[in-house]
Amino acid sequence: MHGDAKLKVPGGKLVAVKVTYSRKIEGIQILGDFFIHPEESLAQIEECLVGMDSGASSDEIAKRIDSLARERGIQMIGITPEAIAQVMRMAIK
Amino acid sequence: MTQWRVIELEEHDAYINMAVDEAILENVRDGKASPTIRFYRWHPSAVSIGRFQSMQEEVRVGACRDLGVGYVRRITGGGAVYHDYDGELTYSIIGKEGLFSSGIHDSYRQICGYVVNGLKRIGIESQFVPINDVITNGKKISGNAQTRREGVLLQHGTILYKLDISRMFLLLNVSKEKVSDKMVKSVEERVTSVCALSAATFAELYASMFKSFTDGKEFSIGKLSQDEMHRAQELSKRYSSDEWNLSR
Repeated sequence: MHGDAKLKVPGGKLVAVKVTYSRKIEGIQILGDFFIHPEESLAQIEECLVGMDSGASSDEIAKRIDSLARERGIQMIGITPEAIAQVMRMAIK
Repeated sequence: MTQWRVIELEEHDAYINMAVDEAILENVRDGKASPTIRFYRWHPSAVSIGRFQSMQEEVRVGACRDLGVGYVRRITGGGAVYHDYDGELTYSIIGKEGLFSSGIHDSYRQICGYVVNGLKRIGIESQFVPINDVITNGKKISGNAQTRREGVLLQHGTILYKLDISRMFLLLNVSKEKVSDKMVKSVEERVTSVCALSAATFAELYASMFKSFTDGKEFSIGKLSQDEMHRAQELSKRYSSDEWNLSR
């Protein structure tokens, strides 16, 4: 199945996701006018979400992103792990 | 005192413009170039999108091709921008991170401060609004985007000189239904330009930005090195490729 959703982060930027999923998340693309340093990290964030249970809660998704960001020193500007998690949950019906 | 290189106003196509910024970043990183301030215009006019945006969703690629307008994905995040040849001035500033205020927000504030001061010189009061905008009377007049790579900061940004809203709507992917008078009015309520606020010519805007960006700095007027020109030519192949531009 495919899903997509977008969200304007309060005080931040626009974040959109396109997700392919069954019981697991099979593929995800995160789009928007936000900033991430280093920029290549977005692909790592997308990769870390593939394989997650598609029923995972917003909290679980946000924790996984936050953990990767801390481990790799990824800086997000105008976007947060919680916002990505929220828009993912909106995309997965 | 740090010696800056200033590259005076140039005109290039979208691919060379983005490639030159990246070539300078690499040379600054490698200690082969001084920190650099560069001013440029886009010829032909072009649309640029942020690193994480979808070209197909943001840009009417077919209209760009029909009208001879370039389109390019930047290495920096941020949003889609229409760079009209007559309608804006673009700058880039590239140097080791230590030359700037530490922290991303503070460095945006510092560099956008040069834009604010430049506008003040031509009689326009404006202010920096986080994350990356300069506004005047509540309307955006300058958008800016920053990246940091291996200890080097690159920020580029545009100062709107003259708005061409109808052309912007032709090129940016807004549905026809939305291109109503109401929508045009909405853009006019959110965005402004130097021409709407001042009688300053483009040359005067450039002169004021030049002065503001270089104020208090030791600098000399410079050009790209042979090495940078060669590297920019190489990098422009990536910037003009579908693989890069349509990657999202």
